[in-house]
Amino acid sequence: MGQLVVNGLALGSIYALVALGLLLIFNTVQIVNFAQGQLLMLGAFIGISCAVTHELPVAAAWAITMVAMALVGVVFMVLVYFPLRGRPAFLVILTTIAMGIVLENLALIIWGPLPVSLPSPIHGPPLRFAGVVVSMHQLLIFATLPLVLLLQFFFLTRTRFGILMQATAQDLHTARLVGIPVNRTIAVAFAFGAVLSGIAGLLVAPIFLAEPTMGGSLGLKGFVVSVIGGFGNLPGAVIGGLFLGLVETFGARYISSNFRDAYAFIVMIAVLVAWPRGLFGEKSSEKV
Amino acid sequence: MSYISMKTSIIGATAICLSVAFTHESKADAVNCPSPIPLGLTTALTGNLALLGMQARNGVEFAVDEINAGGGIGGKKLALTTEDTGASSTDALNAMNRILEGKPLVIFGSMISPHVFAQTEVATKSETPFLVGATNAKVTAQGSKWLFRTHVHDGQLADLIPEYLVKSLGKTRPGIMAVADDYGLGASKGIQASLAKLKVAPVAVTSYAPSDKDMSAQLLEIKDKDADSLIVFGRPADVTLVIKQMGDLGIKLTTIGNSSIVAQTTLNNLSAAEADGTYAIGGMIPQTSTDAKILDWSKRVQEKYKVPADNFTVSYYDTVYMLKSVIEKVGCDKPAIRDALAATKDWKGMLISYQADPQGDLAHTLGIYRNKGKTPELAGPIMESGY
Repeated sequence: MGQLVVNGLALGSIYALVALGLLLIFNTVQIVNFAQGQLLMLGAFIGISCAVTHELPVAAAWAITMVAMALVGVVFMVLVYFPLRGRPAFLVILTTIAMGIVLENLALIIWGPLPVSLPSPIHGPPLRFAGVVVSMHQLLIFATLPLVLLLQFFFLTRTRFGILMQATAQDLHTARLVGIPVNRTIAVAFAFGAVLSGIAGLLVAPIFLAEPTMGGSLGLKGFVVSVIGGFGNLPGAVIGGLFLGLVETFGARYISSNFRDAYAFIVMIAVLVAWPRGLFGEKSSEKV
Repeated sequence: MSYISMKTSIIGATAICLSVAFTHESKADAVNCPSPIPLGLTTALTGNLALLGMQARNGVEFAVDEINAGGGIGGKKLALTTEDTGASSTDALNAMNRILEGKPLVIFGSMISPHVFAQTEVATKSETPFLVGATNAKVTAQGSKWLFRTHVHDGQLADLIPEYLVKSLGKTRPGIMAVADDYGLGASKGIQASLAKLKVAPVAVTSYAPSDKDMSAQLLEIKDKDADSLIVFGRPADVTLVIKQMGDLGIKLTTIGNSSIVAQTTLNNLSAAEADGTYAIGGMIPQTSTDAKILDWSKRVQEKYKVPADNFTVSYYDTVYMLKSVIEKVGCDKPAIRDALAATKDWKGMLISYQADPQGDLAHTLGIYRNKGKTPELAGPIMESGY
């Protein structure tokens, strides 16, 4: 039982990290990026190229990956968001799906189809208590999630740039009228969103291996936990992620492992029926 | 004396004439082939089955390139057209239709059974020999006279894995873990049926989705139910995760499964301690060969494609050479090629001999492997019952 809790929370933490990247972009431009999982995959492979192929120290690989992912985020914005800005949102969303497919196949061409493992940045024997094993890497995942959540929360509410981002999210045109550098703000959102995906990729690759198709399922789970938590709500996404990780793990153990993926969508539907805005969704009004 | 001499001369002349005639006929067969000889291949080169699908491409393409470099068949080069099936059966059917537009002499299909099931009807209607490596036992039970399989199938594995586990390794409380797709679930059912024949009941039967990364719930269930062994059936990437996570959770069980356990892709991502002592039964792999030529071949494939050759690469490579020998014998008439393939007997490939059964299965020899650290060792070949 204890082991299931640990493993469920570790899995849920990964989902939550994907969701945090997704929401950073959503909270700025109101667009759901369905290529978030593929950005995670890209982060994992960039890390592997640095740490495994070029044998750089893992810390350097992490630093390079984060810088590279920030650039990827900006390029992603230029290619996907800017050309379709002002068009119906579903067009941009469809384009993010297409971009995800492009990224997946690009990775297949560059890195090939072989699954590859990335060394963990921390080593050491696992902790054992009452028959429960917690690896050092799981501890790193547990530590990273609240840190990222706090940093993101601090950035959005306590820094000038974060507040500009929130203003842009609320009304892009008014934000531009009052002199907010809207393009720069959006670029930062995409860059940070991609960096968060990159961090998730770096955390996933040592335990789950990296392969070009790894992002699809994780990206989708990131979306599901965002919906469960109340779309746009950061703590909600984290709680949704941890909750889903536990549901999947316990469901696979005590109900059936055949329906593991289905649990995510059953939970999402159940939550939406009971709480149409998700667990922590806020009421919103729209001018008509 | 002169009579004998005359008789000898007549016999000798007849023999020379016959030999010239037969030689001429053999050459004429290849001469009648179109130039170049069109061949089609449909396999997954993108999507989550690309790792598997590329092995078919690598095996076929490597053999075609070698044959062409050696002058082709009867002076005719082979022209291979490849269509990507992606990961969907619908795309696989579309790929087959595109391939058929080029009127290939023979079509190579992939090892992904749902794709082959989707393609068989159109391939059969086109009356084109269809050579596949698809592992679902029912692939050759579709009643197509044009379909042949040159790789071992999961029906054979489902019989041999339980038998080896119970009779040779003495394990009677296995847990089963299989990938939840056509490949794994079909094998899981077959394994359960074979265990039942051996009067052994699995303590837990679990599965995981092809995209699953966390196998801990299934492993903990198997551990909690006091299993003495684990039968795992999946692709190299997920089998790697199963073995890795067993190590992480401190679960130590005798583990046996399909050839994914000894695939180079799997071993590259495991530590020696994690891989050590695991067993596999499946199509023969080149890495354990002691033949320098086979090892050199394996090395050249790895250099060209950056992916280690596996049991599928060998099987598809053999298939092209088998086709070459058939064309040299009967020419480029499709029904004649089909009949020659159906009559295959003891055709020697790289690692095994092929023999056609009435259903169109040509591979009946499997390998039993045990990993010593990260190095697979061949415990011995094993023949399907009746061969």
